[in-house]
Amino acid sequence: MNIRVVIIDDEPLARLAVEVRLARHGAFELVGQFGDGASASAGIAALKPDLVFVDVEMPGKSGLEVLAVLPPARRPMAILLTAYDSFALQAFELAALDYLLKPVDDERFDEALERARQAFPYRSGSRAPALAVPPALHFSVRAGSRTVLVPVAEVERIEADGDYATLHAGGKTWLMRESLHKLAMQLDPRQFHRVHRSSIVRLDMIAELRPLTNRDAMLRLRDGSVLRASRSYMPALSEALQQHAHFSTQQSTDL
Amino acid sequence: MKVETPLLVPVLAALPVCACMVILGLPAASHGYIVAFRTLFFVACLLWLIPLTLLQRAMWRREWSWLRMGALLLPLTYAMAIVNALLGQSLGISLGMESGYRWASLARGLDSCWLALIAFCAVHAVAVYYLSLQQARLHLAQAQSAARDAELRALRLQVNPHFLFNSLNAVSALVSSQSNREANRMLACLADFLRATLTHDGRHEHALADELALLDAYLAIEKARLGERLRLTMKAGPDLLGTVVPYLMLQPLVENAIRHGIALLSAPGQLDILVERAGERLLISVQNDGHKRLHEGSGIGLANVRQRLHHLYGEAQEIQAGWRADGRFHVQISMPLRSMQAAP
Repeated sequence: MNIRVVIIDDEPLARLAVEVRLARHGAFELVGQFGDGASASAGIAALKPDLVFVDVEMPGKSGLEVLAVLPPARRPMAILLTAYDSFALQAFELAALDYLLKPVDDERFDEALERARQAFPYRSGSRAPALAVPPALHFSVRAGSRTVLVPVAEVERIEADGDYATLHAGGKTWLMRESLHKLAMQLDPRQFHRVHRSSIVRLDMIAELRPLTNRDAMLRLRDGSVLRASRSYMPALSEALQQHAHFSTQQSTDL
Repeated sequence: MKVETPLLVPVLAALPVCACMVILGLPAASHGYIVAFRTLFFVACLLWLIPLTLLQRAMWRREWSWLRMGALLLPLTYAMAIVNALLGQSLGISLGMESGYRWASLARGLDSCWLALIAFCAVHAVAVYYLSLQQARLHLAQAQSAARDAELRALRLQVNPHFLFNSLNAVSALVSSQSNREANRMLACLADFLRATLTHDGRHEHALADELALLDAYLAIEKARLGERLRLTMKAGPDLLGTVVPYLMLQPLVENAIRHGIALLSAPGQLDILVERAGERLLISVQNDGHKRLHEGSGIGLANVRQRLHHLYGEAQEIQAGWRADGRFHVQISMPLRSMQAAP
C-alpha cells in the first residue's frame, strides 16, 4: 500500500524539486499537483491523499490556510515547505509532520519522508506499526585495516561529514561510512537526539543551551564543544531535556 | 554658530536681575511713594526685556560680533532708562509731588534701571553662548559617531560578498561535474548562512552564541567544499555564550584560515576555534595548519577585523596574528568581557 502524495506549490520548479526527489522512493505515489490554495483545497477533498507537501507562502490562500480549514480528522499528513522561516510555530500548531526550508537538502527531505513512512501505519489504523529496530550496543568502525567496536554508551555525538559520519567518543573521533539518519535509527531515542541536519548528541552531554533570535539554539557540551541546534528539532529537544534528569537548570530561557 | 536656544533662556536670565531689583527695593518698603516708583521702574524694565530679548536673538541669528552688539545695546538700554525716568517724573506729577517735568535732572538716577538692563543683556548673551556651544559640541559628537557607524558598516559589508561569490562558484563547479547531491547540500548550507545573516538588525555587536551560529553555518559550507580535508573543533568555556562580541568577527578570520591555510594543504588540516575567559577579558583564538610561506600577505580579512575591533573598543582590545613555533597560524583576540544582558 503506497502513500499517496499531493504537492501544493505555486512555483513549477519548486514542485519539480519535490517530484524528482519523491520519485527516488518506492513507497510513495504522486497523485496530484496544485499551483494555488483554492484548487488545492478542492483537490485534497477529491483525492484524499495521505501526505501533502505544502508551500507556506502562496498568492491568495496560503498553505497554512489550506490545511487549517480541513477538520483535523480529514487532514492529511503535511510537510510544509518554506523559503524564509517564520512559520515554525504555526506549523507545529497544525501538527505538521515536518517542515523543510528551501532550497531543500536531500538528506532532510529523505528524513521527512522517513517520518511520514513511520507515521503512516498509525494513521491508516489498518496495519500494525512496524517494529522499531532495537537500539544498537556497538558501532563497528574501520581504523586503518582493523575494525574497532565503539560502545554506543561512549558515543558523545555524531556529526555528518558529507557521505560519512564522525563519531565522537571519549575524546577520539571515528569515521563511518553511514548516513546520519540511518545511524539515528539505531540509537535509543531516550538518550540520543538529532539537534541539527548534521548532528546527533547524547542528551547528558549538553551543558548549556542558549536560544538564538531566529529560534535556533546553540548548545555547549561538557567537553566545551559548541554546536548548533536548528529550530525544526528544538521542540522535541526541549521536551527531551526537560525529562532528562542530568540537564543542569542554568540554561537561559528568554526565548 | 547659528544654534537656536529655547525661549526659556531669557526668562531664566531675567530672574536674577529681577531678584536684585526686588532686594534693592526692600529697605524702602515702608515708604509708600518709593514703593510706587520702584514698582513702576520694575514693571517698565520687565516690559523692556521683551524687545531686548527679541533684538538679541535677532543679532545672534545674524551672527553679529560682540563689539557690534555692545555698541548697539549700550545706547539702546540707556535710551530705555531715560524713558523710564520720564515715566517716573510723570508719575510724580500725577501724584502731585512735582509741578512739571525737570528735563535737566532726567539723566540723573538712571543707575538702577540702566544697570539692570545691561546686566540682563550680559546674562542673556552669556547663557545663549554657553548653550549653543554645548549643542554644537553635541552635534559634532553625533556626527563623529555617525561617521564611525558608517565606517563600521562598510567594513562589515566588505566581508560578505567575497564569500558569497566564492560559494556560488563552488556550487557552479559541483553542478558542472554533476555532483547533484553535493551541490544541493551546499545550496542548503548557503541558504542557512544567508538566513542567519539576513535576520541581523544592523547592530555592531551580538552574543557569542549568535556569532558561533553564524560561523557554524559558514563552516558547513566549507565542510561541504573540503570534506575530510577540514578537521575542526569549536569550543567555548562555561557561561560565555551570552557575552558580547563584534558581529561577524570570526567568519573572516576563519575564512582566511581555510583559504590561505588548510585549503592549500594536500593532507587534512586542523582548525581550532577556542573562546575562553581570563578574568575580566574574553580571549578568542583561531589556529590553523598551513604552509608558512604561503600565508604571507593575506591580510584583508585580518585588517578588517583589526579596524573594527579598534573602532569598537579603542585601546581595550588587542589582536595578534602570526606563525608560532608549533608550525600553525594563530590569531589571538583579547577584548573586554561584557555580558549581553547588561547591555540589551
